[in-house]
Amino acid sequence: MSNPQKKRNFQIEAFKHKVVVDPKYADKTWKILEHAIHEIYNHNASGLSFEELYRNAYNMVLHKFGEKLYTGLVTTMTAHLKEISKSIEDAQGGLFLEELNRKWNDHNKALQMIRDILMYMDRTFIQSARKTPVHELGLILWRDNVIYSSKIRTRLLDTLLELVLRERTGEVINRGLMRNIIKMLMDLGSSVYQEEFEQPFLEVSAEFYKGESQKFIECCDCGEYLKKAERRLNEEMERVTHYLDAKSEAKITNVVEKEMIANHMLALVHMENSGLVNMLLDDKYEDLGRMYNLFRRVSSGLSTVRDVMTSHIREIGKQLVTDPERLKDPVEFVQRLLDEKDKYDKIISSAFNNDKTFQNALNSSFEYFINLNARSPEFISLFVDDKLRKGLKGVSEEDVEVILDKVMMLFRYLQEKDVFEKYYKQHLAKRLLSGKTVSDDAERSLIVKLKTECGYQFTSKLEGMFTDMKTSQDTMQGFYASHPELGEGPTLTVQVLTTGSWPTQPSVTCNLPAEMSALCEKFRSYYLGTHTGRRLSWQTNMGTADIKATFGKGQKHELNVSTYQMCVLMLFNNSDRLSYKEIEQATEIPASDLKRCLQSLACVKGKNVLRKEPMSKDIGEDDAFFVNDKFTSKFYKVKIGTVVAQKESEPEKQETRQRVEEDRKPQIEAAIVRIMKSRKVLDHNNIITEVTKQLQSRFLANPTEIKKRIESLIERDFLERDNVDRKLYRYLA
Amino acid sequence: MMGIQRDRVRFNVGGRTFETTSTTLANAGRNSFFGALFDGNWNLQPMNSNSDLFIDRNPDCFAVLLDLLRTGELYIPPTVPEKLLCREAQFYGVLDHVRAAKWGQFDGNRLRLSRSITGPAPGDGTAIRAGPNGGCCVAHGSMVHVYDWMMEEHPPINLDYQRVNDAGWIDSESLVISACERLGTGDGGMGLFSSSTGELRYKFQVSHDNQIKSYTAGALTFSSDYKIFSSCKGRSNEYGVGVWDQITGKQIDFFYESPGWSLGDADKLQWLNGYNCLLVATLFPRKDNCYISLLDFREKNMVWSWSDIGAPITFDEKRVRDAIAMEGSNSICVVNEYEDLGFMDLRSAAGSVRWSSRSRLMNGKMSDEPCYPKLALHDGQLFSSMSDCISVFSGPDWVLTSRLRRGQGGSICDFSIGGDRLFALHSEENVFDIWETPPTSVL
Repeated sequence: MSNPQKKRNFQIEAFKHKVVVDPKYADKTWKILEHAIHEIYNHNASGLSFEELYRNAYNMVLHKFGEKLYTGLVTTMTAHLKEISKSIEDAQGGLFLEELNRKWNDHNKALQMIRDILMYMDRTFIQSARKTPVHELGLILWRDNVIYSSKIRTRLLDTLLELVLRERTGEVINRGLMRNIIKMLMDLGSSVYQEEFEQPFLEVSAEFYKGESQKFIECCDCGEYLKKAERRLNEEMERVTHYLDAKSEAKITNVVEKEMIANHMLALVHMENSGLVNMLLDDKYEDLGRMYNLFRRVSSGLSTVRDVMTSHIREIGKQLVTDPERLKDPVEFVQRLLDEKDKYDKIISSAFNNDKTFQNALNSSFEYFINLNARSPEFISLFVDDKLRKGLKGVSEEDVEVILDKVMMLFRYLQEKDVFEKYYKQHLAKRLLSGKTVSDDAERSLIVKLKTECGYQFTSKLEGMFTDMKTSQDTMQGFYASHPELGEGPTLTVQVLTTGSWPTQPSVTCNLPAEMSALCEKFRSYYLGTHTGRRLSWQTNMGTADIKATFGKGQKHELNVSTYQMCVLMLFNNSDRLSYKEIEQATEIPASDLKRCLQSLACVKGKNVLRKEPMSKDIGEDDAFFVNDKFTSKFYKVKIGTVVAQKESEPEKQETRQRVEEDRKPQIEAAIVRIMKSRKVLDHNNIITEVTKQLQSRFLANPTEIKKRIESLIERDFLERDNVDRKLYRYLA
Repeated sequence: MMGIQRDRVRFNVGGRTFETTSTTLANAGRNSFFGALFDGNWNLQPMNSNSDLFIDRNPDCFAVLLDLLRTGELYIPPTVPEKLLCREAQFYGVLDHVRAAKWGQFDGNRLRLSRSITGPAPGDGTAIRAGPNGGCCVAHGSMVHVYDWMMEEHPPINLDYQRVNDAGWIDSESLVISACERLGTGDGGMGLFSSSTGELRYKFQVSHDNQIKSYTAGALTFSSDYKIFSSCKGRSNEYGVGVWDQITGKQIDFFYESPGWSLGDADKLQWLNGYNCLLVATLFPRKDNCYISLLDFREKNMVWSWSDIGAPITFDEKRVRDAIAMEGSNSICVVNEYEDLGFMDLRSAAGSVRWSSRSRLMNGKMSDEPCYPKLALHDGQLFSSMSDCISVFSGPDWVLTSRLRRGQGGSICDFSIGGDRLFALHSEENVFDIWETPPTSVL
C-alpha cells in the first residue's frame, strides 16, 4: 500500500473478486493438505480429520484453485517418492526386493488416502481440465521416480532374473514376494511389465534353454530328453500361474518350444538308438505320446514325426513283402501284415491322439508296400481261405467279424482287386466243393463286406456259387427220390456248377471205376431229363470219395480220399501190384495230378495205404505200387490228404495272371465306350486318365493295355481318329 | 465389517444431529465421501468415543440425501432448491444417485414431460442433441448452448460465429460442431469443444492434394471405433464425406461424391456397425431430388443406393424428408411431410419405398408453419416428430403406441434421445422440452 496511486486499479479488481476473502486462503489451505500428505506418508495419519481435509480440498476446487491443488500434489508426491527411491536404493542385497515391496505397499495405501481427500478434485477439476486422475498419477510418479531410477531399474531386473534362474536350478525362492513385485510392474501398465521384465526375461530364458538343450542333446537319449523338455515346459507354465502375467504363458512356452524342440527336432527324431524309429520298434507309447504332444506345439513338428514314421513303415513293409523267406507261408505273410497294422493302429490311438493325418499316412504306407508284391492279392485270399477252412474253429462270431474286418482293410489297400477276386473265387470253390468251409455265416459275411466295398458286380459270381451249392442239394434229393433202387451200392453226390460262376479248370475227365461211371450216367440222364438244353461235364479233379477198405490182417478202415485217389485205389481191387504206367493208362489222370495223388497214398507216414518200390519220397515213372497190408491206424476213418501245393506254382501263377489280364480287356473296353459315349470327343491322355479313374476300385489299368483296347475298338468301328488332330478320338454311335 | 454396536453412526451436520448406520452410508459406494470416510485407512476417532462426526455442510440437504441413501428414492421438500441439493450431492459424491433417482430407464411409451427450458437465443433453433449423461446442446444460428443434466447452462459455444449446421457429443465432456465456412478466411468448418468450459480444443481440417482447404461441414455422425464423419463442401472439389480420427484429430479418409450423386449436401449421416457402412441421405428440398446411399469406405464404393430421380411425381408429392437405417430389420425407414412412414429393404439392390398407409396420421393436412418430420430409433422403438407432437412406434410391425404432445411452443423442429431422456426443440418459441421415464416407485 505504499504506492496506492499506481496499484489502485489492480486492487479494486482484486476486491471485486468476492469469492475469496482471504488472499492467502489458497496457500493456507494447501499448507494444511500438504501437511496431511506428509503425515500420510510418514504413517502418522491417525491425527488427521478426513472431513476437514476433504472439505478443504473441495473448497480449493470450488474457488478455482484446482490447478494449484493439482500441481501441489504432483510436487509433494514427487518429493516423497524421491525419498522412497533413496531408501530402496540403500537396501542391502537380498533386502532390496523386500524394501521395494514394502514401500510399494506404503505408497499404494498413501495414494488411496490422498485420493480420498482429493475425491472432489478427481471428479470435477480433473475431468474438465483433462488431467491425469490422482490414482493414475500416483502410479506414473512411482514409475518415473522409483522404477525408472537409474540405481533401481537394472538392479530390479537383475534381481528378478536371478531369482528365476535360481528357481530353474532347483532352489526355493520367495514366490510371494516375486508375485508382488511382478504385480506392481503390471499395475504400472502392461508396457512397463513388458519392457522392465517380460522382454528381457524371454531373452534370458531363450539363452538358458539354448544352452541347456545343447547339453541335454549331447548326453541324453531321446526319451529322456523329451521328459526333460516336458518338465521344463510344465515348470514355465507353473511359473506363469504363480507369479507372472497370464499373457506371458504363450510367450515363454514359445521360447521353450523353440529352443528345446523346434531347434533340435531332426536331431531328436533321428537320434541313434533312441530316436523315433526305435520308439516305434519298441512300442514306447509313453515316449511317443510325449513326442507327439511336444512336437505338435511347433510348426512342422508333427509333419516331421509323420514323415519319419511313414518312411519307416514303408521300409519295414517293403522288407516284409519282398523277403523271400516270408513268401513261403502266405498265412504267416498276411498275419505279419495284420500284426504290423495292429501295432501302428495301437501307436496312433494310444500315443498320437488318433490323429487323422497319422492314420492317413499309415494307410498310404500300407497301400504303397502291399502293392509292391504282385502276390499280395493271392496271399490275402489264401489267408481268408485258411481262416475260413479251419482257423476259425471255436472262435466266436464277433472275433470272426474282427478278423474279416481286418482282412477287408488290407483288401482296401490292394490296387488289383480283380486279381484278389480271381483267387478268392478259386479258393472259395475249393472250400465249397470239399465241404470244408467252417461257417456259412462267416463266408456270407465276407461276401457282404466285399459287396459294400466293390459293388454288386464284384460278388455276383461268388453269390452264384452259393446258389449252385443249394440247388445241387435239391437236385440230389430229386435224383435219389426218382431212383429208389439205388439204396444199395455206392452213393454219388453231384454238385452241378454253373459255368462262368466257378473258376474253370481244364477239365480232363479221368476214367472212373465202372461202378461209378454207371451211376454217373444215370445221374446225367436224370439231370438232362429234367433240364433240357444243358450240357454236363465232369470235373473229376475236384471230387472226393469215402471208400471202405479191408487190409491184410482184416483191418477195416474208411478212407476219405479225392476222386483221383479213389480211381487209383479201386484198381487194386483187381490186382496186387501195378506199375506207374499201368495206373496212368487205366485212369488217364494227368501226370502231375497223378504223381501228387500217388505221393499222398504211398509216401505220407501213417497214411500210406499203398507201398511202392523203390521206397523214396518222389514218384518215378518206373515205380511199382502195391497195397500196404500192414497199414494200421488207431482211427477207423482215415483222411488221406492230397499233397497240394497251397500256393500256386509258377506256371499256375502265370496262368491266373493271364486269365486276369484276359478278363480285364472287356472291362477296359467297356470303360472306354462308357466314357466316349458321354464325351463324344476326347484326346488320348484324357481317356487314359478317366479310364484309370473309373477302374481304380478294381485294378490299376495299364496305359499300354488301354491303348491296345482303343486300337481294337477303332478296328471294330466303335471309335475313330480325328482327321485333323490324330490325338483326338471320336465316338461312333 | 463392523459389529452390530459399531454400525450406528451419529453425525453433526451444520449443527443438526443425524443418526444412521454405516450400512446405509455404504449405499453411497466407495467412491463417495462416505465410502472414503469409513475406509480402514482413516482412523475414525468418534467411532470409538461417543462424540458426533462433524460435517460442515447444509443440514437440510443432508437430510434429503440421507433419505435417498436409505430408500433409493428422492423426495425434495419445496423448501430445498434443487440446485442447492445438487451442489451438496456433488460434495458428497452422490450426484449419480440423485440423477438415477430422478428418472428411470428410457421407455418411449412411459415418457412424462419433466420440464421445459426457455433459452436466451433469438430466432429458430437448428438442432438439439442429447448428451450421454442427461445433458443436451441446442444449436441456434451461430451459437450452441450447452446444458448439463441439471439444466445448468454452461458457457455457449461458437465456431467463429459461423452458422452451425450440426452438433454431436463425443462424450460427456466433448462436443463437435459443424459450421458454414466464411469465404476466404478459413473460418467455420468443424471444431471440438469442451462442454463444460466452452473452449475450442481442436479444429478439424480438410486437405485436398496436400493443401488445407476451407470448407462447410454439414451433417455429423460418430462410429464406435472412434471416427467422426461429416458431409463437406469445399471451395473446389472437396464435395463428399470426410472422416477424422477422434483421438488424433487427423483427417483419415474422404469419400468424394461422384457426378450425378449428392454426398456433400447430406442432411443425415448414420454409421451402421453391422454393415461397416455409412448411411448418407441428401433430402428434398436441399436438392431437387432425394439421394440415399450406403458407403463402404474400405472399398470406396457405394454398396447400396436409392434415389427418386425419374420417379413419377404424384399429386400429393410424397418426398422423403428423413431417413433412418434399422440394422435389426435390414431396412431403411423414411418419412414424408404427411408423416407417412415408408420402408426400403437394404438386402435388395434396387430399392423402392414401400409406403405404409397404416401410419398416415395427418390425413394430408399440413400445419400452418411446417416443420419437416424427423425420425429416431431407440431400443427397438421408432420415434417420428410431426408438427407439435412425437409419435412412438413399437414392435416388429411398428405399431403406433404413444404420442407425446405439449400445448405450446409450436411445431417441433428437432428432437433427440440420449441419457435416458428425450429432448424436443420447438420452432416458434425458443423452448425445448425434456421427457423422462419416471423412476419405478418402491410403493
